[in-house]
Amino acid sequence: MVVEALRAATSAANRFGLGARPGEIEGIADPRAWLLAQIRRPPDGAEAFVGLPSSLEYLRREARLRREHRRLQHRAVTAASNAARNPFARRFRQTFGDDLRREAVARWQIAATTTTPFTERLVRFWSNHFAVSVDKGPVRLVAAPLEREAIRPHFAGRFADLLLAVETHPAMLRYLDQAQSVGPDSPFARRVDRRLARRAGRRDLPVRSLGLNENLAREILELHTLGANAGYTQADVTEFARALTGWSLPFPAQLARGTIDRAFLYRAAAHEPGSRVVLGRRYPDTGFEQARAILLDLAASRATARHLGFELARHFVADEPPPALVDHLAAAYLDGGGELSVVYAALIDAPAAWSPSARKFRSPQDFLIAALRGGSIVPGARPQPFEGLAARLGEPTFMPRAPAGFSDLAADWIGPDALWKRVQAAEGLAAHVPRAALDPGSLARSVLGSGFDAPTRTAIDRAEAPRQAVAMLFASPAFQWRI
Amino acid sequence: MVTRRELLTMIGCGLGAATCAGWAPASAAAAPAGPRLLVVLLRGGLDGLHAVPPVGDPGYSALRGPLALSPDGATEAGGAALRLDGTFALHPSLAFCAGLYARHEFLPIVAAAPPYWGRSHFEAQDCVENGSDSPSGAETGWLNRAVGCLHDGGLSATTVMPLILRGPAKIDEWSPPLPNRVSPILLQRLEPLYGEDSVLAAPFAEAITERGEDAGIDAHLAGARMVAGRRLPTIAAAAGAFLARRGGPRIAFVEDYGWDTHANQAPILARKLAELDHAVHAFHDAVRPAWGRTVAVVVTEFGRTARANGTAGTDHGTGGAMFVFGGAVAGGRVGGQWPGMRPAELYQNRDVHATTDQRAVFKGVLGSHFGLSAEVLSRTIFPGSGALRPLGGLLHQRVAAARGEKNAARDD
Repeated sequence: MVVEALRAATSAANRFGLGARPGEIEGIADPRAWLLAQIRRPPDGAEAFVGLPSSLEYLRREARLRREHRRLQHRAVTAASNAARNPFARRFRQTFGDDLRREAVARWQIAATTTTPFTERLVRFWSNHFAVSVDKGPVRLVAAPLEREAIRPHFAGRFADLLLAVETHPAMLRYLDQAQSVGPDSPFARRVDRRLARRAGRRDLPVRSLGLNENLAREILELHTLGANAGYTQADVTEFARALTGWSLPFPAQLARGTIDRAFLYRAAAHEPGSRVVLGRRYPDTGFEQARAILLDLAASRATARHLGFELARHFVADEPPPALVDHLAAAYLDGGGELSVVYAALIDAPAAWSPSARKFRSPQDFLIAALRGGSIVPGARPQPFEGLAARLGEPTFMPRAPAGFSDLAADWIGPDALWKRVQAAEGLAAHVPRAALDPGSLARSVLGSGFDAPTRTAIDRAEAPRQAVAMLFASPAFQWRI
Repeated sequence: MVTRRELLTMIGCGLGAATCAGWAPASAAAAPAGPRLLVVLLRGGLDGLHAVPPVGDPGYSALRGPLALSPDGATEAGGAALRLDGTFALHPSLAFCAGLYARHEFLPIVAAAPPYWGRSHFEAQDCVENGSDSPSGAETGWLNRAVGCLHDGGLSATTVMPLILRGPAKIDEWSPPLPNRVSPILLQRLEPLYGEDSVLAAPFAEAITERGEDAGIDAHLAGARMVAGRRLPTIAAAAGAFLARRGGPRIAFVEDYGWDTHANQAPILARKLAELDHAVHAFHDAVRPAWGRTVAVVVTEFGRTARANGTAGTDHGTGGAMFVFGGAVAGGRVGGQWPGMRPAELYQNRDVHATTDQRAVFKGVLGSHFGLSAEVLSRTIFPGSGALRPLGGLLHQRVAAARGEKNAARDD
């Protein structure tokens, strides 16, 4: 390949994709067409997810497990059997351990082997945009399904559909505490208040056991749609939170009985009555539709277009993306009616996305995935080594420390301690590379593409053993950058 | 990836290297000179009313409802609170802190907040960390600027450099290690490659020079498994060991997550505050030779709503708690000005009104502990804060230094 063509193919595989597998860069004749084709066809490797339980199935089994647990605990008061003393965490692991392992393995496998890596990057981009964290217990079972059920089907469709699918998913409803948010003047809250008052024998009891939780409303505005500093106020947050009341999950009893067919439930009795004013627009009380109408308006807003355009440009092009590129993507979003495939096409067509100054540092997960792909390592049935490495490198799967997700900036990943751990991880990963793939010179050329510079070549050539050479490749600065 | 034998060898090597580097367990070391500072940032927004409940405030129990604690016995929200004075108590999980309070080495400050009151985690944290009066007021962190003004080194016990320590001054990073050794040959050959990379050259060179020295602490902690609830104590102990080391950093930073208690707050905070209490204890033990000259400040980005929300939790609020502790602290009292909890006294009839700017506390600590001038504090470290007076009386003036030496002598 001539120099410029090689550079573009390298960018397609390494900056837009997940990192080249041997032969991938050489096989890309037209980088733009290669990327576009991926978002227009079904993703490759999705069969890895076949047979995994749905959120609804998980929630049902979880409700049954809780019921069973309570029954055993109750019985334990009279007869202390071993099973009854089994704490819930252990029963949870016994019941769901295999499922959680299968979810993790499927995700590592598709990342390591897919021939539509741009699609996977986009899926992971949205997973981080709509971050949930499994360090909150109730999210553990439904975090991976959020990606499978809400993000995969919509990642190249309308943003409004993606947004609705995510905000009605049990993982998000639980993570940002929406599931329990109840309108203070809703029929449900009034009923509970009356009951409490009767019990206490006092009708003027000030204690209220149910009410509003504004966590989801705030993060939708700040993180999912408009972005910080987009001019909304505390009153907008509270009004939006009131509109969202009733958006919840089925009750445990309904789940355990199996009488319900969806993991989302609009609980009309918990909805705060009345019309709401958000960002100056009045929304009549239309029940479930009230918050949906607000979400659709947020999705159509100019601030959202800019926020998403900026995030995409930052993710694929540069930590500080050219403002003109951000404007271009925002315009594509608005002109295309929020159709995400139009925005991706605009990104791929933009000359700025292919300029020599476009460069990104691999996040820890991206680093691990690139090593798996480059080294032809296919994760087996045990995901623990990779999950453990990701965690130690600072990016544990589905466990960001805040709803903002993991950082997309090099400055946050290049500390001395982090680089040191990458070198350690590179040696460990090199040990997993199958013997057949151990031809370091051609492997490095094939994986780094136009990034295979003379000093890196010299260092790899001089390594005293093939595995040391592959460790050198994974630990090299050229491997840490997406160019 | 690592065999048992390799691991044992590694720990052996690590301890050997530690001896060579002159580092030894804190209890046996000679006390290092000069003041020490630890800053702990609790991300997510600690509920100050839960950590330092104003049990003597007439509005408290009615407003808090199911989250109210009492010094007279257990409530729905937890065990009996530990009484501090006529108005305030500490959460029962903070038992070690209460002991320090009795020794006059622990000073809670109530109703404190950064100058930004907008209730966004990320903007509030940026404001706490950049030391200006707004979330985008500065590109670097105030603790980095403080390290720079002292012509000193600093330590960040994190995997990822936080904003508070970003900037031109040199800051070391440390986090619990991966258990495998790195081949010295690989390192040798990587050095020239990284040397050519304008962005990665400096951090890589630092990694190479530091790892050898830190091997002692690394190996020590590799032995201690990182179990749930031990993360913060483990890291705080490491920070204490670094601060106590001769020639070590004088300023260290530690952070923790998981304080954003929108739902089911009482059991979550009982666990998290116990973790914080263990961390204070572990830090105290690790920094012991320098304890008399040590100040630690625990800070969070905002307090939370005065009322419980509908899900037995609290939402983002304004005024919150800070803790100042250490052998140099004039503790045993509650600092700050309590605005009261009557609805009219609340900020927007919702949050504890913030009466102390967190920067006033930091200015007070940096000024009396490190002798930084008012000029430097108001222009360089907390730009534009000239009108904000440092909070006084936080530290034993001069007495602190003398007492520190006495303690050190006793420890020897």
